[in-house]
Parts: sequence; C-alpha cells; structure tokens
Amino acid sequence: MKRIMIDREKCDGCLNCNVACMSAHQEGSNFYTVNLQAPESETRNFIKFDAKTGYTPVFCRHCDSPECVMSCMSGALEKDPITGHVKYDEEQCAGCFMCVMNCPYGVLKPDNKTRTKIIRCDFCEDKADGPSCVAACPKEAIMVREVSL
Amino acid sequence: MKIVIIGASAAGISAAKTLKVMDPNTEVVIISKDDTIHSRCMLHKYLGHERDAQGISFVPQDFCEANNITWMKNTRVIGVDPQKKILKTRHHQEITYDKLLITTGAAYFIPPVPGMREAHNAFGFRDLSDAKLIDNASKNSKNAIVVGAGLVGMDAAFALLELGLNVTVIEMADTVLGLQLDPKAAGEYQKIFEGAGAKFLLSEKVDSVELDNHQNATSVHLASGKIVPCDFIIVAAGVRPSYDFLEGSGIAANRGITVGDDMRTNIDDVYAAGDVLGISGIWPNAMNQGKIAATNMLGGSAVYKDRYALKNTASFYGLNTLSLGNVNPADEVNCEIIKREDKNNYQKIVSNDGLILGVIFQGDIGNTGFWQYLIKNKIDVSDIDKPIFDLSYADFYGIDQDSGEYCYTL
Repeated sequence: MKRIMIDREKCDGCLNCNVACMSAHQEGSNFYTVNLQAPESETRNFIKFDAKTGYTPVFCRHCDSPECVMSCMSGALEKDPITGHVKYDEEQCAGCFMCVMNCPYGVLKPDNKTRTKIIRCDFCEDKADGPSCVAACPKEAIMVREVSL
Repeated sequence: MKIVIIGASAAGISAAKTLKVMDPNTEVVIISKDDTIHSRCMLHKYLGHERDAQGISFVPQDFCEANNITWMKNTRVIGVDPQKKILKTRHHQEITYDKLLITTGAAYFIPPVPGMREAHNAFGFRDLSDAKLIDNASKNSKNAIVVGAGLVGMDAAFALLELGLNVTVIEMADTVLGLQLDPKAAGEYQKIFEGAGAKFLLSEKVDSVELDNHQNATSVHLASGKIVPCDFIIVAAGVRPSYDFLEGSGIAANRGITVGDDMRTNIDDVYAAGDVLGISGIWPNAMNQGKIAATNMLGGSAVYKDRYALKNTASFYGLNTLSLGNVNPADEVNCEIIKREDKNNYQKIVSNDGLILGVIFQGDIGNTGFWQYLIKNKIDVSDIDKPIFDLSYADFYGIDQDSGEYCYTL
C-alpha cells in the first residue's frame, strides 16, 4: 500500500500541508483561493511544535491494524483490502466517536461545524496526483512510498 | 473445516470477517436469534425514527452472501454437546461443527422489583426486537419511564424524547452517567436533556410497579413515597452475559464464559468472545476478541493484550464527551486533579506521580485518542516539561523507518 512517509527533521512548520488539505476538501478552491475561515475548513493533518523537539508532523498512518476501524460500531470505517487505506462512509457514520477515543496517535477529531462526523485523511483518493499535502510540502518532509501491507 | 459462530454482533461478525480474510475456504456458519445484523449502539437511532433497520446495520446488506457465509437467522441454540460437536436448536435442528465460537453477548437484566418482571409493558433495550416492541408501545402512549441513567438509559430517553413523549428517568445514583462521568460533566447532559423535556428523579429507588388487570404497569412507586404514572417502562439496569444454553456442556463459566488470553474455553475447539465473557461491554474490545478468536481457530497464536475497558464516549444533542479511566477518585486516593473550563468545554485530568489515571474531555474531544494509550500503558509523563493539557502524541513520537507506522518512544 501507499503510505505518507515522514521525515520529521525536514519539517519547518510552514503548514502548507494544512492549507493544501483544507483546499483539497473545499470544492472548487485551490491553494490560493481556499477560504481558511469557513467553519467546515479543517485540516486532516497536524504539525505540533515544541521548543525542544521542533516540528512534528502528525498524519494518519492508515495503520496496518487500524484501531479506528476496530472501534467503529456503525460500519462507516473500513480498511480497503486493495488500497490498504481506511475508507470513511460519512452517511453511515453515527457520530459515536469511539474512533476518536481509540486512535493511539490522536489523529482523529469530530468536525468543528456539526460535531457529528469525523475529520480524517482520505489520502486524496479522488486526486490523480495523490495526497495534496505531499504535493504542497516544499521540504519533502512528507512523501508517498509503497510499503508492504 | 466448518466453523460455527453463535451470535451476530461485534465479536461474531468481526470473527467471521477475519476467518474469511485469512482463509476463504473455511466454511463459516453464523447462527443468530435475530433476523437482522445490527449495531446495538445505534438502537436509539432506530427507536427515535432517525434510521430504519438497515440503517443501523454495521455490515453491508449482502455481507453474508458476498463473503460466502451461511447465516441461520431466527435460530436459537439451546444446547451444546462438545463430545459429539453438535449444537441443538429450539426447532430441533442439530448442527455439527469442527470448531465453535460463542459470541452470544449479554441480555438485559430486570431487577426483582415487585411488579416489574410481571409487567407486560416493561421492556429492556438491547436488541432490535426490543426497540420494535417499545416503538409499538410508544404509539398510543404519553408518559414513559426509563429506569437507569447509564448510557443505555440515556440512549433510550433520547429516543423517546425524539418521539415526543413525556420522559421521566429514575436513577439510584445522584448523577446521570455515574460510571462514565463526574458530577459536573454529568450535570451538563442532565441540563440538555431537561431542556429537551426530560424529568430526572435522581437518588431514587423503585420500590414497586403497580399493575392493572391486564398486567400492564400504570405507575411506579419510589422508596421516597413518590408515585410516577406511566404508560410503559424501559428498564436499563444493566446486563448479564447470556450462556444459559451451555448448561451441562462442561464449558466453564463464572459470570461469563471463562477463556484464556487466546479466547479458548476449557473445552477443545470451543472459543468465546465479546460481552458473553463478562469482562467488558466495550464494542472495540469485542471486535478485537472476535478477531483474536478467529485467528487462533485457524491455528494462529494471537493474544488478547489490549484489555483496557474503562473508556467511553457520549454524544447527545451535539455535546460530545470522552471519558477514560478513573474520573472520580475516592478521597483516600492520593492524586492531583487539574480542570480547565470555558463556555463550551470542560476538561479534567486525574494524575498521580506522573501517571495519568483518568481524563474527561467534554465539548471539543478532537485529537484526544492518545490519552487512552498513556493511561492504559501507565506512561510516566512527569519528565515532560510542559503543562499537562499541552501533551500530545508528538511528545512520544516514534516512526518505524520501513513501514512508516507510528510507535511510542518512551
């Protein structure tokens, strides 16, 4: 499967990945026109800053054994046997947030606008060029690589 | 090989899925007393008319056909003969197996209060069939009583409010959701429910249920002397593992079927998983146990390690809460409690000597999943020089260079 590999040392916290993610999920927008203040404008990846350790990219791993899928009581989360990515069916989701509770890395969150769905990485599955965050990273701190499933 | 699974909820379905992924040639038979596969965590959405029966399924409609699984619905198993490897059903069928997985879950418990067990209109709230009975009863009713203000009771109350009924919740403890929340977080839910029309009678004990000539409850008498009239009652006073049908089978049980870390019972080729074990009533744990049992039935060596079960989320009327671990430490427990609050949020962390014992996040629960890892793995955070609320996974960041998966660096 394809996974976004992370080189923490290269990240300088520019947050282009955040903007790219918001834009990728705001229809009709691009990196320059994306409305960052729209309530539904949310990033699915996070950069944590610490004075000692610097910047830490926290991105969904689409884990080999995804705890989010294991915790899903509605059947909304499934690991795709072919792509290896965790698929999210927003309509089926019942908003119980056990996946938020069970993600060991704290990547998942309810959406800010309605607080009834979750915000999670879809690997920009609908985009030919792959994940928008990776394309937007000027430092190559994140890159897509094929890993064995 | 023919593997028979009794029960079609989290553990059973998770096991069936695992079996079919690991070895598509294994014959898998699921036997269930229900005629639908449904998620009981969504029953309130059915009762509240937000979703239909298909909408509360947690597998696609063609799950069994697509995976080549034989599903015997409306079938209740009444006996197991592990010597002959045969199951007996209520309709006198005999079903053979090579390996058996018992995932029959739990059944609601109606306390021995005079009149309550006898009442035709006192319902549990566990299966879709219960929800259907309640839905029917609610049609010509005005006043409903819910006994118990745990998660199931609150789910039921929520659904009945959606149906426009007058709902009175009776609870012995002095707060709602007492097992999951502290009084402050619980009070927020009580307020919202009251805003939606619910009445709460807390610190109240049901003494008896008054029945009419048709054995229908007409009112509930409380120990305090109060009398609450009702058209029907939902009893949400807890559940008990259901394994009555194992009597005489030799399969060991003690308030739940006894299994090792590999989900094997004391009898060869018989496994059990999920709520029927009586060790946790948590969906993700049941899924995990089902997966482990399935792996081991096919000769694997999976072990149930992630046993942590003091974890819950609640979501009502747009107010979300995550609660982990011990959030109401007894006075004698030597610990530090830090709270943070604003208009929309209440957060609480209970810690002792660098170990997190419990947390509540109410309001914004985003990105809080790592707290469970810190609590269940007893990770000492005292060396991290930052306010405890600023902790995140980044403070324990580690990455496997080959797979790109995260791990914890401690």
